[in-house]
Amino acid sequence: MHRTIATILGSFLWLSFATGQVAVIANKSVPVDEVTSQQLLDFYTGDVKLWENKDPVIVTDLKPEGEVKALFYEFLGKSPSRMKSIWLKKMLSGEGDPPEALKSESEVLQKVSSTPGAIGFVSEANISDDVKVLTVIPRKD
Amino acid sequence: MQYLRTILIALVCCGSLLTAQPGESPLRTFGYFQNQFEHVTGREDGVGPYNSFLMQQLNLFFQKNLARDWSAFVNFELLNSYSSSRQWGGINLEEAWVKYRSSKQFNLKIGLQIPLFNNLNAIKNRTPLLPYIVRPLVYESSFNEDIPLEEYVPQQAFVQVYGFIPSGKIKIEHAVYLGNSPNINNNSNYGQTGVDTTDNFLVGGRLGIRYDELRAGISGTYEKTNFFETLGRFLQLPVSDFRDLPRYRLGSDLSFRSRKLFLEAEYIDVMYEEGLEAYELDKTFYYGTMGWYFSEQLLVYGTYWDIHQNEVIILDTGQLRLYNYREIVQVASAGFSYNLNDRIALKGQYGYVDIQLEIPPAPELSNILDRFDYQVFTCAVSIIF
Repeated sequence: MHRTIATILGSFLWLSFATGQVAVIANKSVPVDEVTSQQLLDFYTGDVKLWENKDPVIVTDLKPEGEVKALFYEFLGKSPSRMKSIWLKKMLSGEGDPPEALKSESEVLQKVSSTPGAIGFVSEANISDDVKVLTVIPRKD
Repeated sequence: MQYLRTILIALVCCGSLLTAQPGESPLRTFGYFQNQFEHVTGREDGVGPYNSFLMQQLNLFFQKNLARDWSAFVNFELLNSYSSSRQWGGINLEEAWVKYRSSKQFNLKIGLQIPLFNNLNAIKNRTPLLPYIVRPLVYESSFNEDIPLEEYVPQQAFVQVYGFIPSGKIKIEHAVYLGNSPNINNNSNYGQTGVDTTDNFLVGGRLGIRYDELRAGISGTYEKTNFFETLGRFLQLPVSDFRDLPRYRLGSDLSFRSRKLFLEAEYIDVMYEEGLEAYELDKTFYYGTMGWYFSEQLLVYGTYWDIHQNEVIILDTGQLRLYNYREIVQVASAGFSYNLNDRIALKGQYGYVDIQLEIPPAPELSNILDRFDYQVFTCAVSIIF
């Protein structure tokens, strides 16, 4: 019985991902409803650290490597290792800290929903009403 | 009792001043070090061959967000297996600044800092960011005895405004800074040491553009130097002619990185324009590097460095005489950098160094070796902690 439920759930999650997809999510306090890949890149490289309302942008990352992370970084146009070297340069120059890398998508959801100004990315299937979806990254087939 | 009350009130007041600010973070301590092995061979000037293990550099950072828009940063640097008891190496306070970030267009940094000049200056001592072990000549602190590094690039500033202006996908980068002239007194006979004994400022800046991973810019500084007062005394000319001598630096930089290709190049021109018409002291430096990422961890590169520097030498051969000469240093180098993980990188580098001296024909200079070359093999491990 458990195996059947797990299989159904797994299939559902796989189908969700196969059709879509990674959602870029933000705390409901952020003053925008959508972002472009360039804006996201500016947030994730630390070039832009404030929202339009001057609240700080709190960037989160996903620690486990996987398709969700790969798709997100591909959307940014950077490889994860290139992003790490950009963050390293910022850190060693005293210009900023790397984003907090969270262990799971549920942690990202929890962090983003509870932290004003926070932004992150999860599978579209995992989004909840506690966060705002800024864009959905389509999967390239 | 009244004293006690006063002290308590003072403590409470101090405490209220030091309570946590919104956006304040705990103090972070981190750093890196790079250990190297070097084998030098073929020097015809009597040095080597030799092998040397060296703790090339260790940097220790302290960083803290003081409030939402304010952060502080301190950078201590230990060089060349630093040991005070053995009188090896040196320890420097490289940076101690506080930054106010108003917007992406406007950041204000106050305190001791390494100013933005060309591509490498501000990050020249961040060894984990660089694929090199031996850095392009004017950025390599261990060459300080052979190359007057402070003449080529500004070593420090004290106030800097910088940021970028976005224009679509293009970012226009700007920086303007002020600092000391390099004439800081180190002789206690002439007053307090560590104090700029001139009334001059270093003024400089950089203007650049960035488009994704393509970055280019021009840099410039204006300052005054008293390096050549001794020369003026020797020439029995008014010393005032050699004091506060204007010096200009002009630089340009280009860097590019794609998933596979790595390119960077710089040009620096150093000019002394007044007071020394009879003597040529100008200097130029350029370097270019091309690399290829065979994987995300492995970069293999080739690089070429070139310095043309004019110097004066005063010889005492029973009678003091002054000679103007030119030194040309050319280095062809190749190397690799391999990231074992996010914290550890292995590096290797080979360099062929060719040094030429263009010396005026004079019997007293005839025994100076006017050309020699040598080879350097180095390997290093760079650790971030």
